[in-house]
Amino acid sequence: MLRLTDVRKSFGPTIAVDGLTLEIRPGEVFGLLGPNGAGKTTTISLAVGLLRPDSGTVEIAGWGLSTDPKVRAKIGFAPQALAIYEQLTAEENLRFFGRLYGLSGRTLGGRVTHVLNAVGLLPRRSDRAHRFSGGMKRRLNLAVAMLHDPPMLLLDEPTAGVDPQSRHSILELIRALKEQGRTVVYTTHYMEEAQRLCDRVGIIDKGKLLAIGTVNELVGRFGGKSVLTVERGELEERHDTDDPLKEITRVLAAGDVSGVRIDRPDLESVFLSLTGRSLRD
Amino acid sequence: MKDLRLLLRDRGNAFFTFVFPILFAIFFGIVFSGSGGSSPMSVALVDEDGSDRSAAFAEDLAAADGIKVTRATHSEGPTPVAVTLTRAAGEVLVRRGKAVACIVIPKGFGESSGNVLAGQPVRVEALMDPSRNAEAGLLTGKLNEIALMQLGKSFNDPVQMKSMVDKARETINKSSEISGPRKLLFNALFSSMTNLTGAPNKAATDIDTGTGTGTGPGGVTSADAGTGGGLAWRPIDVSVTRLTANLNEPRNSYEISFPQGVAWGLMGCVTAFGPSLASERARGTLMRLTTAPISRRQILLGKALACFIACVTVQTLLMLVAVLFFKVQVRQPGVMLVAVLCSSLGFVGIMMLMAGMSRTEGSASGMGRALVLILAMIGGGTIPLFLLPPFMQTMSSVSPFKWAILAFEGAIWRGFGWGDMLLPCVVLVGFAVVGFVVGAMFFRWGERFSD
Repeated sequence: MLRLTDVRKSFGPTIAVDGLTLEIRPGEVFGLLGPNGAGKTTTISLAVGLLRPDSGTVEIAGWGLSTDPKVRAKIGFAPQALAIYEQLTAEENLRFFGRLYGLSGRTLGGRVTHVLNAVGLLPRRSDRAHRFSGGMKRRLNLAVAMLHDPPMLLLDEPTAGVDPQSRHSILELIRALKEQGRTVVYTTHYMEEAQRLCDRVGIIDKGKLLAIGTVNELVGRFGGKSVLTVERGELEERHDTDDPLKEITRVLAAGDVSGVRIDRPDLESVFLSLTGRSLRD
Repeated sequence: MKDLRLLLRDRGNAFFTFVFPILFAIFFGIVFSGSGGSSPMSVALVDEDGSDRSAAFAEDLAAADGIKVTRATHSEGPTPVAVTLTRAAGEVLVRRGKAVACIVIPKGFGESSGNVLAGQPVRVEALMDPSRNAEAGLLTGKLNEIALMQLGKSFNDPVQMKSMVDKARETINKSSEISGPRKLLFNALFSSMTNLTGAPNKAATDIDTGTGTGTGPGGVTSADAGTGGGLAWRPIDVSVTRLTANLNEPRNSYEISFPQGVAWGLMGCVTAFGPSLASERARGTLMRLTTAPISRRQILLGKALACFIACVTVQTLLMLVAVLFFKVQVRQPGVMLVAVLCSSLGFVGIMMLMAGMSRTEGSASGMGRALVLILAMIGGGTIPLFLLPPFMQTMSSVSPFKWAILAFEGAIWRGFGWGDMLLPCVVLVGFAVVGFVVGAMFFRWGERFSD
């Protein structure tokens, strides 16, 4: 669906994206995971046609290059910044952006109502955006991306800085989009979101794609062993194991156990393993 | 320290905080000190008399300080030829704002200038640009000064003096309005004047043999002479006419002030829209616009169109207020429409230039304020153009203020035809094209992404 081939992008001496090759499949939710400054936003900006690569190509399969306005019409983009007009109402914002995508009349009105309902802002449609909470603005930002019913959505940190309720709402929305067969690419540095939602994850750091695959594949390949923590009275024992169940059985058989805890490897451990540092550093 | 550092890091803001005030002070210093040469008043001169005296008057006027005289125009065609200015051509120069006034020396000037001592002042017409009332008094004073200078020259020339005195004596003696004793008094005066120039005649002898008892010749008392008898002597009669499109219709000062108000309204649009692109860039909405299926040119055109509509609306509103409440009459609606459209385009160009050049909202706002002041200052928005030094008057051509005001005045009272409107309109459209192209060239679309 979206293919980046050996893409490079620099800003002066800073290499933001360094030979990135990536293919997003139709209908999948793909998470681009990396710490701040990894190159996630630059990659999304290249994908949506905001930036031109220094070398390499970015193409939307079957449509052409993303720098072509006709191709961009098939992409819904929610930038990390809250790209809405705060002095306009939610509905006015949506109507303005909808017209840019060629929507008009009843179609536009219908889509506005639909997306406002989807993001839970229908009762606030006539309120100016500056009256909204951060989470509501984030949802309105997402609603603009969904407005023209694009087959592919590029969401840059859609849950950044929002309250738990809005985060849940946004994640449910992305799940609903996936069920509708939409392709969703989104960037985040929240590993639990990626684990919860993404069909596949790409881990990026310093402009390079370090690994790509399903969460289980990545954890299996790079996550390392599970850690079984056994409590014996005041003491704790740590057991690294590939088979936690077998290890628990063995430990319990030995007796005198007051508690056990299993820490399975996750994307954080994958990232730590790949880069030697934490995802949120 | 942090705030000071932030101020200095924004070059635009730093410029308008520290450098611009210095430039501002220098500007007014130059204007009020007269550095760069005093600004001559440009006048057209038409000599309808063609006499030696009118030619001498014209020469003195041309040589006068603070006045720049145009006596010829150029014929149109492949090889322009200098043509002596006619009254009609002089009027055109005034209407087009190329001259403050057209001075007409009418027929009979030479004849009457020989008879000023008999109370017949020479007559000169001044067809004034109505927007330059302040200069009318100055010009009248200058014409009086030249007339007196001419008179002084005549007094120093015995032949001319004798001729003038003889003519005056003849006129006064024939007059039925002047009493006998006063005629004697005048004759005595004329004889004295003739003696002064060394041309003795019988009248002088008459005076010498007068009574010498405190009364005037023929027994006229000083008190009698002092009453004046209604003869207020003056050497020149300057007839000032405000040159309007239709002299039969009433005019008022609002027809001059509203075009200036319109220009300020347009600058208001520029300052409102200029920072909006920088603002969109800062808030992220520009990113959203650039990822929509429209071209960047369309985005800029959209912004320009919004500003254009605002400019047209402001002008329409101002002119409606002017017409409905201040008796301003738009004589040429077609010309006015063109003035509105061209002025809007010109100021949209300024807005685009500002939007393209500014990097932050702060610098855009600062630039907007500075641009308004600079363009208003050099374009006649704050200080009338004629008060500016010559080099600044030349610089005024780079200000859309000047051209917008001229176009509006042309539609309201200057009586501009389509040919007259061509220059201001072309210049204003030129501002639009240059502003749009340069603004688009310098505009920064993207930001640095590394996340």
